[in-house]
Amino acid sequence: MEGILFPHGVPEGREELKKYQSRDGYEALAKALKSSPEDLIKSVSDAGLRGRGGAGFPTGKKWQFTREAPEQPRYLVLNGGEDEPGSKKDRVLLENLPHLVIEGAILSAYAIGAAKAYLYINANYDVAIKSINDALSEAKNGGYWGEDIFGSHFNIDFELIPAPHNYVAGEDTAVLEVIEGKKAWPRQKPPFPVTVGLFGKPTSVNNVETLANVAPIVRNGADWYRRFGTAESAGTMIFSLDEDVNRPGVYELPFGTPLRYLIEDCGGGMRGGKKIKAIMPAAPSSAYLSPEKIDTPLDHNSMRDAGSGLGCGVVKLVAEGTCIVEEILKISEFFTAESCGQCPACRMETNTLTSLIKKVQAGQGGQPMLEQFGKVLAFNKGKGFCNLIAMPGPPIESALKLFPGDFEAHLTTGKCPAH
Amino acid sequence: MSQVCLVCQNIDCKNRGSEQLMAELQKRVAAKGLDDVEVKPYMCFGACQEGPNIVLYPEKSWYAKVTVGDLDEITEHLAGGPHVRRLDTIDSSLKELIYQLLDTGIF
Repeated sequence: MEGILFPHGVPEGREELKKYQSRDGYEALAKALKSSPEDLIKSVSDAGLRGRGGAGFPTGKKWQFTREAPEQPRYLVLNGGEDEPGSKKDRVLLENLPHLVIEGAILSAYAIGAAKAYLYINANYDVAIKSINDALSEAKNGGYWGEDIFGSHFNIDFELIPAPHNYVAGEDTAVLEVIEGKKAWPRQKPPFPVTVGLFGKPTSVNNVETLANVAPIVRNGADWYRRFGTAESAGTMIFSLDEDVNRPGVYELPFGTPLRYLIEDCGGGMRGGKKIKAIMPAAPSSAYLSPEKIDTPLDHNSMRDAGSGLGCGVVKLVAEGTCIVEEILKISEFFTAESCGQCPACRMETNTLTSLIKKVQAGQGGQPMLEQFGKVLAFNKGKGFCNLIAMPGPPIESALKLFPGDFEAHLTTGKCPAH
Repeated sequence: MSQVCLVCQNIDCKNRGSEQLMAELQKRVAAKGLDDVEVKPYMCFGACQEGPNIVLYPEKSWYAKVTVGDLDEITEHLAGGPHVRRLDTIDSSLKELIYQLLDTGIF
């Protein structure tokens, strides 16, 4: 299948500047600098680019809000924290296609009117950090960033910030805190970063994959971009599959591709030829889908209508014979451990949910125990500074709905149906 | 143990001195020889703005905005004395949620 980011498949090793130039690299930058930032924002809006970090917010709108914010200076932050378990897409882009990412970042900075861009990259990604540093040197020598690029009077400076490796550190406002030298604690919103962001100034925080899409859009135009995907989810998205399948890896697919194609044609089906019990299209925080939903198109609207979401494209499979109670316990324990602790409601919710699942697992409490999940989730809905508080709900509630037998087996026999 | 006295130790309650409250209450309960009362921490009752919070279980009494000055009366209550009505300010829907959780054994 034709791709935008990986037109010839996932490349081997770091793409050097010469190679990138040979396929029209940095021509999008030369083209954009000849017209206005407003034109660039319009192109990206017309293309329908939506953020690939999980929320799917329209990128053109984010840039426009940042550009229109009255305060100066403005900042661009490339978010390469990538702390979702199982997500590999940003690492692959940073390691293998650093110039595509850097060109996207320069274009984004031009669009919002930023003279400084922070590249926030997972500190464990040694290869990616080296790759970006090497590419930054090459690009600087090539005159693609620095002062007065191509005689345009546009200046841009880069600074690389290693990102702490914990889940909340990838949240937009926690990213800003880390860059400011503080703890990775999300901020209360509003105000949003587009108006009050880094050092209190307007800031656009964009995911790595989002920015990698910008140069191809500018180079080929919005109409070309819209040839991929669906009307509301234009372009492609990179999906990550892990060891659940025969061929783990990252796969770029046009939005709207059936989930089955990703799992069977790309991933080669479940490892060991096992049957699928459940699919989580946006691990670890989306609702499970039953295997009957395997033909659901991979786009925002279809996934929402199916009762789940796309997140940042980490698709996890649960094999037949696995107990769902054990699965949601792992997820709940993950969020309990990753809750940063600053919001009391989030600590209360994540700890209580984990305690409840452990009680069910041990066969304690009977039916009334199951009724507590919805009550605890409803009580904490909308509380907390960031979205982590909303994350354990969809996996737990969908597990209760789809697999009541697993819960009953624990509660009536005290034993796991899978063992 | 016939009565558990749960003292919230989540951030807001802690910031308002719930660690000291728990230590003080443990001392007073011991001094009074209330062997059937255990004073222990609880993760959160979800009434952070009203903290520090103390819940007596299985009796199901909830005391909010507790200060060290209230502890003698609470100790008296634990010894069979009267309910401290002025500290009983939490709305019934939250009480119901938390009491149900405690009934299912979450503590």
